[in-house]
Amino acid sequence: MAEIGLRNLTKVYGQDVTAVDSIDLDVRDGEFMVLLGPSGCGKSTTLRMIAGLEAVTSGEIMIDGDVVNDVDPAERDLAVVFQNYALYPHMSVAGNLSFGLKLRKLPRDEIDRRIAATADMLGIGDLLKRRPRQLSGGQQQRVALGRALVRDPAAFLFDEPLSNLDAKLRAAMRTELIKLHRMLGKTIVHVTHDQVEAMTMGERICIMRDGRIVQVGPPLEVYRNPADTFVAGFLASPPMNLLDARLGGETGLDEVELPPVGLPLLARHKEALQGRAGGAITLGIRPEDLDVEPSAAQHAAMTVTVVAVEALGPEVILVGALPGGQEVSARLESDFAAPAGSEVQLHVDLERLHFFDTDTGRAVTAS
Amino acid sequence: MLLSPATGGNLTLTQRDRRFGYLLTAPGLAVLLVVITFPLFFTVFTSFYDYTLLTPNHDTFIGGENYQEAADEEYLPGSLWVTVKFVLASVVIEFIIGFIVALSLNATDRFKTVYYLILLAPLLINPVVVGLLWRMLLHSELGIVNYAIGLVGIRPVSWLGDPTIAFWTVVLTDIWHQVSFMAILLLAGLAALPREPYEAARMDGASPLRCFFYITLPLMRPVIFVALLLRMIFAIKTFDIVFIMTKGGPGTATDIISYFIYRAAFFGLDIGRASAMAVGLLIIIIVLTALLYRYMRSLN
Ligand SMILES: Nc1ncnc2c1ncn2[C@@H]1O[C@H](COP(=O)(O)OP(=O)(O)OP(=O)(O)O)[C@@H](O)[C@H]1O
Ligand SMILES: [Mg+2]
Repeated sequence: MAEIGLRNLTKVYGQDVTAVDSIDLDVRDGEFMVLLGPSGCGKSTTLRMIAGLEAVTSGEIMIDGDVVNDVDPAERDLAVVFQNYALYPHMSVAGNLSFGLKLRKLPRDEIDRRIAATADMLGIGDLLKRRPRQLSGGQQQRVALGRALVRDPAAFLFDEPLSNLDAKLRAAMRTELIKLHRMLGKTIVHVTHDQVEAMTMGERICIMRDGRIVQVGPPLEVYRNPADTFVAGFLASPPMNLLDARLGGETGLDEVELPPVGLPLLARHKEALQGRAGGAITLGIRPEDLDVEPSAAQHAAMTVTVVAVEALGPEVILVGALPGGQEVSARLESDFAAPAGSEVQLHVDLERLHFFDTDTGRAVTAS
Repeated sequence: MLLSPATGGNLTLTQRDRRFGYLLTAPGLAVLLVVITFPLFFTVFTSFYDYTLLTPNHDTFIGGENYQEAADEEYLPGSLWVTVKFVLASVVIEFIIGFIVALSLNATDRFKTVYYLILLAPLLINPVVVGLLWRMLLHSELGIVNYAIGLVGIRPVSWLGDPTIAFWTVVLTDIWHQVSFMAILLLAGLAALPREPYEAARMDGASPLRCFFYITLPLMRPVIFVALLLRMIFAIKTFDIVFIMTKGGPGTATDIISYFIYRAAFFGLDIGRASAMAVGLLIIIIVLTALLYRYMRSLN
């Protein structure tokens, strides 16, 4: 059991590469926390600092309230599953699983018992005598996971363990990991740049960008209320449409203008946008909040010229151009079809509009 | 066809490429044939004849008599023993020093190029020059080494005059010359090791010493094997240093096999017998090489 706390954690490589920039994060005991962000945003560095594999430049790492900055990795009672598995190539699967236990001087029968139990749980019982070289990627991944599990650590750190697997296996392993977490109830910090993985696995998501934390929260909350345009554009696929717009109408706060259309503002939004009358604003619309039917309770219509229609099977992504030239994606029913160049009317769910400050990108919310 | 070469006829591209390749390598191959293949076969052939410098011809075929004589040679076992001692001493010490140097260099980031250059320098020197160099440095009256140790009050050492010391002097000279080869080979192996298992081992709680024994050594086994065998093969053939520094002496202290054969040929003037011994040495080296080759093939 472990709570992990990061206080002002910073990592500078060499003189001037700031990989992690004074982040604060609290991972609760037993929580499944996902670190999500684009490549190079500092996720691995953060994880490696927690593990103790990377020295901390400044700030503190706490485990169960104790600062562990200078505690040896082996003593932190954490287990890491590395992105490339990092199995011991010259040892059998059993050897890989038992190495850490032998170093900890566990009795032989206890080691055997744990290996058998873990192998059983992960379905790698038949592979115990093989070398990593003789395993498929998915099997190696299981062994890497097993090596972490046998140790029975206080918390697990996963660095993109699923990224080398094919789509089907990845989906299966995702479910396995969720089950495993439910069964063990251990703290897990899971790094990924795959937003589907983050949405489905995390109890909370921590979104990082350029070494900083942008937003932390449960997946749905982050999805519903992205803190800024970066999160809005990163989460979900296709991401939220971000459109340059202007507040307008008689009072300058009646509607949001996407010439030639003006979408009426709801009272809730007007309140939030107080003081921005007539100003530029970034309007966010999720593709799923656009529809060819006027299905939403409060809606407004706009006409787009079809640029492309991408059939994904269960759904269709329509890419259309607004009269002003900006493109929007809409997620539509799978029976939708329209030739490129034709005009289609889309209905916007007015309840679900998002507003961001055009300069800072921060979400505009009623405070 | 515009591009059809005069020699081409209707050969395929690969065949033409191959023919061109042979053409380019022909001069080199011809030289190799003359300086390696010819002496080789000449030696094997001669080893079955009563060929001495007094009767330098292949008139008298004597079968295995040269081999018999060589085997009965009074001083041959001694020379073999010296060779074994020399090979073991130099290769083992080179391995230990080379591994330590390789490990430290592998852990270094700064000035790597400088270290490489320093390390490579001895390898670029001809062994004869190495021998001459050290013979001068270690000269008992005029050498700078004895002068230097004299400054701190140590009496001059007869580096090449005392049998036991002379043996180790030759061994150390060889180490000085060849240790870089070992270090660089091992360094290449270390640099190619995966980094991740070490991080996994740190999480598993392995100390640096354990990492070395449980991860580095097992992963380096192929490189170590190849390095040891290669150096062994080279060490067995050592000649130049002994020739320059001690001429096999004092007594028979440094009379290693290649020098022993040389003496049989050019002092004993019995080319046939020397050839027989050379063939024996060749067989030993071929066996070792075959071992090396088989092992390297088994790796991939
Ligand atoms: N050893 C290092 N030396 C110098 N810079 C480094 C080092 N490791 C990482 N960096 C830099 O730190 C930044 C963060 O790297 P990090 O590996 O944490 O990214 P990441 O979020 O894990 O990315 P990815 O999704 O590609 O794995 C990057 O800009 C990277 O170039
Ligand atoms: Mg990473």
